[in-house]
Amino acid sequence: MKIEILGTGCAKCKKTKELAEKAVKEAGVDAEIVKVEDFDKILEYGVMITPALVVDGDVKVAGKVPSIEDIKKWITK
Amino acid sequence: MAEETKCSCGSANVALFPCTGAANVGQISNKIAIALEEQGIGNLMCTVGIGARAPGLMKSAEASDRIITIDGCPVNCATKTLELAGFKVDRQIVISELGVKKTRDRNPKDEEVAEVLEKVMEILQSE
Repeated sequence: MKIEILGTGCAKCKKTKELAEKAVKEAGVDAEIVKVEDFDKILEYGVMITPALVVDGDVKVAGKVPSIEDIKKWITK
Repeated sequence: MAEETKCSCGSANVALFPCTGAANVGQISNKIAIALEEQGIGNLMCTVGIGARAPGLMKSAEASDRIITIDGCPVNCATKTLELAGFKVDRQIVISELGVKKTRDRNPKDEEVAEVLEKVMEILQSE
């Protein structure tokens, strides 16, 4: 599984990455977490507001920090 | 389109959705949305992306604190597109109601766009 955190390194983006790492650990799933800071790549997903979290190419949230429960739900489906 | 993707850490997120229709007023709506973004009023977003239910666009619209649609004419395509997707439009601007007659000219003049922008700014600043 590939989890991408789209954002430029702001506080919310960092928090989202931290939560994603925690969720992966707690859920015990095998996932690669990648931080995407390139605007062109972010726009390819149609995301206009960061942070955003993408699981295997599917945008799950944009513009806000998701809850750890939501992330767990997305990565264990 | 924005040169950069807006980060939500800052002030309120305002989404701008022009109709970008195939008439002078539709093309003006797009130019107005670009100008509003340049002035820091909001973020230009892809209205057709909402019609297509593109996940990135849908999530970005959901994260917006305020949604402004800019329709060219009373057919209200941008507003209806947002509403059909389940969004509440906070402010609608209709270009043809600002003294511009709808025509098939797709290349509005800069002066005409500037005049409309002035009126749109007045509307937004009066809120």
